Amino acid sequence: MANGIVGKAKGLFTEIKDHWSTPAEGKYVPYKEYLDIWLAVGSNYSGTKVLEYISFAAGCYLIMYHYQLPYVVFSAIALINMPLQKFWDILGMMINDNLGFLPKKKERTLYSVYFFSIILGIFLMVFNFTPYLNPQNAVVAAINSIRGVSAASAIKMLGTHILWNGWAGSRNIFWRKKLVPKFGRYKYFLYCDIVPKCIVVILIGWLPVYNIPDVVTRVWVGNALFALYGLFGFNNCMETCTQNISPNMQERILIRTYPLKLSHILNSLMVLVIPMAIGFLKDEWADINVYKYVIPIIFISFAMLTMVFSTRIKERIPQPPLEKKVQINFWDGIFGVMRNKYRWVLALVGLIDSLGSGMLVFTTVVYLYTFRLSGLTYGLLVSLVSFAGTPPDFFTPFFIKRFSYKQVMIFYYITRAIGYGAVVAAIILCGDNVTLCGTLCVIILILLEITHTIPMAIHHDMEIRINDYQMYLSGERLESFAGIFGWFTGPVTTLIGMIIPILLLKFGFNSNWDVLFVDMSRVKIIVIPLLFEIAGYILMNIPLLFWDYDSVKQNKVIQVLKRRAEVTEKLAAEQEATAQSSVVN
Amino acid sequence: MSKNKIKTKKSQVVQDEILDIPEDEIWTYQIEGLAPPKINASYKNKKGAKIAFVLFIVFAIIFSLYFSVRALLNTGTLEYKEIEGKSGEYELIQFSNNGSITEFYVDGIASLNYDTEDAGMLLGEAQAGQNDVVAYDRSKTVTKIHEYAFNCDGTLQKIYISADVTDIDINAFYSCWALQCIYVDENNPNYCDIDGVLYNKDMTEILCYPIDHDRYLRLKEGYAHLDENGVQVSDLVDANGNIIEELWDTKDTNYDEAYFEEYNLKVRTYVIPSTVQKIGPLCFNYANLRYVYLPEGLKEIGTLGFFDAGQINAIYSYKNDEINMETKYTEGMFQTVYPSLPEGLEKIGSDCFTKDRGLTYMYIPSSVTYIGHHAFWDAVYKEGGDLHGISEMNVACDEATFKSGSIGSQWLPKYDYMLFKKNIDVNYSAERMAMPE
Repeated sequence: MANGIVGKAKGLFTEIKDHWSTPAEGKYVPYKEYLDIWLAVGSNYSGTKVLEYISFAAGCYLIMYHYQLPYVVFSAIALINMPLQKFWDILGMMINDNLGFLPKKKERTLYSVYFFSIILGIFLMVFNFTPYLNPQNAVVAAINSIRGVSAASAIKMLGTHILWNGWAGSRNIFWRKKLVPKFGRYKYFLYCDIVPKCIVVILIGWLPVYNIPDVVTRVWVGNALFALYGLFGFNNCMETCTQNISPNMQERILIRTYPLKLSHILNSLMVLVIPMAIGFLKDEWADINVYKYVIPIIFISFAMLTMVFSTRIKERIPQPPLEKKVQINFWDGIFGVMRNKYRWVLALVGLIDSLGSGMLVFTTVVYLYTFRLSGLTYGLLVSLVSFAGTPPDFFTPFFIKRFSYKQVMIFYYITRAIGYGAVVAAIILCGDNVTLCGTLCVIILILLEITHTIPMAIHHDMEIRINDYQMYLSGERLESFAGIFGWFTGPVTTLIGMIIPILLLKFGFNSNWDVLFVDMSRVKIIVIPLLFEIAGYILMNIPLLFWDYDSVKQNKVIQVLKRRAEVTEKLAAEQEATAQSSVVN
Repeated sequence: MSKNKIKTKKSQVVQDEILDIPEDEIWTYQIEGLAPPKINASYKNKKGAKIAFVLFIVFAIIFSLYFSVRALLNTGTLEYKEIEGKSGEYELIQFSNNGSITEFYVDGIASLNYDTEDAGMLLGEAQAGQNDVVAYDRSKTVTKIHEYAFNCDGTLQKIYISADVTDIDINAFYSCWALQCIYVDENNPNYCDIDGVLYNKDMTEILCYPIDHDRYLRLKEGYAHLDENGVQVSDLVDANGNIIEELWDTKDTNYDEAYFEEYNLKVRTYVIPSTVQKIGPLCFNYANLRYVYLPEGLKEIGTLGFFDAGQINAIYSYKNDEINMETKYTEGMFQTVYPSLPEGLEKIGSDCFTKDRGLTYMYIPSSVTYIGHHAFWDAVYKEGGDLHGISEMNVACDEATFKSGSIGSQWLPKYDYMLFKKNIDVNYSAERMAMPE
């Protein structure tokens, strides 16, 4: 047996050595790139996680402790931005799914719309409308009545929204055209956004916007600052790259399982380090130095590492050369995604998943309010739970061979329902004994985490497969146009999403989180939304029964895509050769 | 052949299956079992579908806007529910302020005296103190107040409880930041008040010391006045002559320590009557108090009784031969007075003194047999290498006797130590500190 292991290790070593720079036959990724994936995804993922501490929402510690904005302003801002948002979305879909390469006329029109928006946005932000707003007017009066908002500040926030979209839209065309050919479609934005992003992360902590005494001004200026923060991207793009790193399914899963999963260890360390660092501050999470020093320093370090290691990672989607790519018009995109049956399946699953929306992250409530954890202990427990899912993930290729995606996902939803049911039982039956209840909850959480990672890997691959299938159907992946499913489900999720907050309000959860120190209220605030979540997990199995996209079909789709790429590349080469010969003649 | 072997073979078949796709069919080649590709196809004949799509999107936007607006303007609603089995009796479920109501009567079913469909008109005109917008139907009796009925209200200052209200949930007034007084009708059989502080009728339990009661006392004690519109204006000023609402300390002011001490005794000191045996849950949460005097005879301090009352600098206990009903401190009002919790106290609720970092001395008398979990949580912190707050716990009993009682988990304050948290030291069999001069 020992000889067998040694033999396998030697074989692996030879394999890595032989294909360090050039991939093996039938494969696309050299092992050198595995190393880059490990480091780049690790840095990118950790950086993204650090940024989760910054958001213009009630749940952000900066907003909670320093800005101290009325809870209602976030709904008000969402409302102000909502009517125009669909318009920006449509424009964005056309740009994104054409990778920024649009017919000249359409490009000029879009630039005109965006530049006009920028001018209009600036005007709305700078001009003082107060003297022209009649306080007796019903709409003005209604807006003025909302705490933290006035009619004049609402116009400024609308201006911010228009300016932001104008600016973001024109950047989108400009930088995609410049950078996508060089860096690919998923990570191009890092190269234009990273520097401004770092600057804004520093500004968020250092600009004393939270000290503005007038809450109305604080709200709209804060909104503008956070809009600027949102303008520059730093999402988990390296992981998306690796999900599209190879047309070979097995290789794709292998990379997702090993280098990518190992890269998450870095974040597991950060989950430990950040609360520890924050534990040293006098007021811990409520200390402004969290945002002045801790977050910026850690984020900028990861941002730099991401840039260093991301360069050599390539996307390998079988696609025609950019000059031969299919042009997607608006209706092509809309009807294209609607023809994709599997998008409907996942959209329905997502819709049912919204049953739990509006609930507090119960693990956070358990850690912070039941256990009162902070500093290293908090970090250790969070790390322990999140790490529990890592070892099983290494067996993903095995599970993928052994079970269908549908089987795994159904298992996933059922285990969630059972697990959360057990949490509810623990809280209700032994909630009085903090230690016992907490220990049971943590054990269940660990078990849930262990059974979480493989289905998640599979779920991600389902989404990639859907995109591959979309490319087969429409000639493009239409990832942005797929957003229209959110438009369909939006009204229903809005309605469902109101249920849990209303219930939480009845249980005392309002703008004051201290209510979570009240044992009985905390129990209700955790348990009732969990019951909704359990119902959701059971119902989510129904649409999944219609999932019949298996590996056989995926294999054929990839072959079609490869063939298209091969033929169009050949045609492009021929055309280029013809053009060159005509120039020579 | 075993099932596994069949699967392996199937997997190999998947990998080996090669499609033969002619060059001119690359955009149209249909895979069996999947929909045919449709690339650069015309959708001109799909007018119906396009119209349906546009209509749906318009509907979706209107729907989302409607619900968002409703959610946003969901202020100024009063919700009551008829109590099952008690015809004609109602429970106040939720009081949601429209931003104008500063005084409210729990006396008959109240409604907002305007067209709720035209919320904007009223909401826009609403200013704090516009209480005439509430109309009361006193033919419908309200006898109960639901938990969190007044939760997180930031405007309401005074609540009047009628004689009919016989059941008030302990959490009813939670986080009413501007609440100064709760007045109870003298004919109420279950409750009463002393100068705006809520008690049960026989005065054995203090139920709610309103969070902003000190503001009321500032006006009463002459540290503020009412302007011509009846709005309270503070008479306290900082060193630059700017009005300050509250006097936290003498720093940056022209006031000296003696003035500050007098202010604290008049405004930020509360004497609990000697009849009181229980301090109710959440009773003094967020209270702006400097000194609290507890009567000997007090048996229980409820859950979160002094939660986040971080300004409390000292707790004293007193004993008088005669009943004391005076809640305002006056020199020489006590026959015996000593620091910290009273002898005879039996129960300290969970999170009772959480975040009370202003306290520096704590003595647990031998009578205490129950301490709830996290009773003194976060009541100590480390700054500049020194511990501040309750830096040591003094327990009258010896360790064995003390631990034989019901002691909740993590009851002791903890401070940052290395990378973890460490309990403060406990002095068992401790003597009570003498009363400071």
